[in-house]
Amino acid sequence: MSHADVALGLVLVGLSAYLLFGGADFGAGFWHLLARRRARATARSRVDRAAGSPGLVESWRVGVHGHLEAPTRHESTSYMDRGDPAIVRAEAEQEVIEHAMGPVWEANHVWLIFVMVMTWTAFPPIFAAVMSEYWVPLSLAALGIVVRGSAFVFAKALPQTGWYAWAFGVSSLLTPYCMGAVAGAIAAGGTGWLSPSGVYAGLLCTGLCGYLAAVYLTADARRLAGREVTERFRRGALAAGVAVGLLALPGTAFFDVSSPLIALSAIAGLVSLALLVLRRYLAVRVSAALAAVSVLWGACGLSGLDFEGAAAHDAALGVVFWALGLGAIVLVPSLTWLYVLFQRAEEAR
Amino acid sequence: MDLLAVGASPADFAAARTQMAFTLGFHIVLASIGIGLPALMLLADWRALRTGDAVYRELAHRWAKATGVLFAVGAVSGTVLSFEMGTLWPRFMDTYGQVFGVAFALEGIAFFIEAIFIGIYLYGRDRLPPRVHLLTGVPIVLAGLLSAFFVVTVNAWMNQPRGFRLVDGRVIDVRPLAAMFNPATPPQAAHLILASLMVCSFIVASVYAVALLRDRRRGVTDRYHRLGFAIPFTLGAVLTPLQVIVGDWAVRFVADRQPIKFAAMEGIEHTEAGVPLKIGVFEIPNALSIALRFDPDATLRGLDAWPVEDRPPDAIVHLAYQLMIGIGVALLALAFWWAWTHRHLIRARRGRPGGRSPVRWSPWLLRAATLAGVGAAIAMEAGWTVTEVGRQPWIVYGVMRTTEAVNPAPGLRFGLYVVLVVYAALAAATISVLLRMRRPAAAPAEPDGEDGERP
Repeated sequence: MSHADVALGLVLVGLSAYLLFGGADFGAGFWHLLARRRARATARSRVDRAAGSPGLVESWRVGVHGHLEAPTRHESTSYMDRGDPAIVRAEAEQEVIEHAMGPVWEANHVWLIFVMVMTWTAFPPIFAAVMSEYWVPLSLAALGIVVRGSAFVFAKALPQTGWYAWAFGVSSLLTPYCMGAVAGAIAAGGTGWLSPSGVYAGLLCTGLCGYLAAVYLTADARRLAGREVTERFRRGALAAGVAVGLLALPGTAFFDVSSPLIALSAIAGLVSLALLVLRRYLAVRVSAALAAVSVLWGACGLSGLDFEGAAAHDAALGVVFWALGLGAIVLVPSLTWLYVLFQRAEEAR
Repeated sequence: MDLLAVGASPADFAAARTQMAFTLGFHIVLASIGIGLPALMLLADWRALRTGDAVYRELAHRWAKATGVLFAVGAVSGTVLSFEMGTLWPRFMDTYGQVFGVAFALEGIAFFIEAIFIGIYLYGRDRLPPRVHLLTGVPIVLAGLLSAFFVVTVNAWMNQPRGFRLVDGRVIDVRPLAAMFNPATPPQAAHLILASLMVCSFIVASVYAVALLRDRRRGVTDRYHRLGFAIPFTLGAVLTPLQVIVGDWAVRFVADRQPIKFAAMEGIEHTEAGVPLKIGVFEIPNALSIALRFDPDATLRGLDAWPVEDRPPDAIVHLAYQLMIGIGVALLALAFWWAWTHRHLIRARRGRPGGRSPVRWSPWLLRAATLAGVGAAIAMEAGWTVTEVGRQPWIVYGVMRTTEAVNPAPGLRFGLYVVLVVYAALAAATISVLLRMRRPAAAPAEPDGEDGERP
């Protein structure tokens, strides 16, 4: 196996991890936005009745563990009807999303940096060609990343400011769409990102992210919230799974894919739906991840980019492999600890 | 697609440089805070754990909250730079990406570790024993320093390219470690890391200086504000004299290795013997020759020693350099003032029973400290301008011109406009969020129980 093959393998591993972890965080932004819109729609019909509301509670308070906590959303939305079950449910959904994403999204985001650095080091001409050709959607994706990350922490710091939650949701849709559009345009042999194949791949990528997020969040909701919230995410995952599956089907015909990966993706997708019906929330994480990532691998096979010809010198790649190998000694246990620590049941506190 | 076939329009080229400068200038301040604030947070957390002092604990919590916000904004604004490397300077990446790639791979690993432990530290307080929790903060600080180092090696390499040979426009004989450990790496890395810690220290201290001045007007003494000021300000004051020494080293390095940049910095127009030192509108005869070569009649090369097309825009470099030096000298004076205020602590630390009354800080010291935060950030931006603009017209000094590196795609300037709008909103939002995250005890209506006002 040549150095270029190893490097390509590493880029693929990074891309897959970014889709499965980073992508799901973007998908979570979609569900956050959806919950917010549902709550808003319900609240708007009632807010007129709540004239003379007590105003926003803006103070921070010292929580049970002695550290400062932001006002909860219940206080912040006190102008709404507190007892309204639709709003309570929407808030619970958003809290699950924030709780699940909070500790891990920054680490998940680094996979993107890894992919970019590996590509420009290992295949510099390909990096240069893709980045210069698709600078518009990629710049939009980068700005989406900026807005998404900032708005997420701003919304957490100031839950009473609805704007940040909105910006978080919208940018969570923009970024995967733009990245998917670029991937689709490359897979279609260098068409524009606004071409039908670009638009199609952008939608598919956004859908995949949303699907993964709903699947992961179902298990998170079981751990963090009540049965009702879990059921809502489960229904979301089922709906998203069916929608993405139907969306993926014409693509295989359009791109004329006859790879066994498509069969793998279809089977894993069907198994995931079955597991969701059976409420096997941890097992479905694995099968859904497999279904999503095999779409990515199938798309990679389409690109027709000349990786061997674009590869960097072995001397450059060798040092990078050594650096990554040494880094992995620290990284792998740290990353494992991060996930284990925050996936552990709350009772462990 | 043939990247070398066409060129960018002058407007797009200028827009690409402006966008890079603007986004980098934005990121550099946040990155500095991202390196320094976790260190301050950890220091306060360690003191809280050792002494059980509630004020330290509150500082640790406050700084952790601010770190959570600022680290995130720093991380995403850094990602933009990775994108821009390709969207703005594809031909630079095409030719040289593999030469300096390993530095970015290492930086990526460091950033990964930072992001992992930021998550563990900020969210794991209730899930870990206090001592373990404190230790999970250590990798954040170490990885932050390392990632700053790795990134600077790339900029140092752009000033002192090494570790490759160029044949027919393609690189061969790539030696990534020789590229990373090029001669400019030690002075630039030391200078930047000190600068980033100083910027963070003085910015944090300036926030508390404002609070102390307000306390003073109200006639109260708040230990929370005093410690919040004293810890970072002392760190900044200790680092400032070191930075002056490192800065001197960096200037001498530039004078030897990039004499044209040095000529631009000092505003030497003509090659001559006995060069005066220009400070604003004043000139001290022979002083620059003495300072640099310890010889009043030493000959220094001026800009006219190089062809016009190789000269950097010298006016802006000279101005930025003087601004950096001027602020540096002011910060040094402030550091000595701070040391003088506490001379009794430096002289006699032992034999003092507890309960000494707090040192009175001059309101003028606090007013100056209020400006020091912004000043340190301006000095850093000015220093960055010196090194970047001073390298022009080259993106890789002596090897590749910036005009050869830029993306030829038309319309780059529209990207700049969008970036300017988004970043202006981001800056405003970041500041407004931080202001609204302030401790509510600062509001007169609500003194904060155990660690509020003390006479």
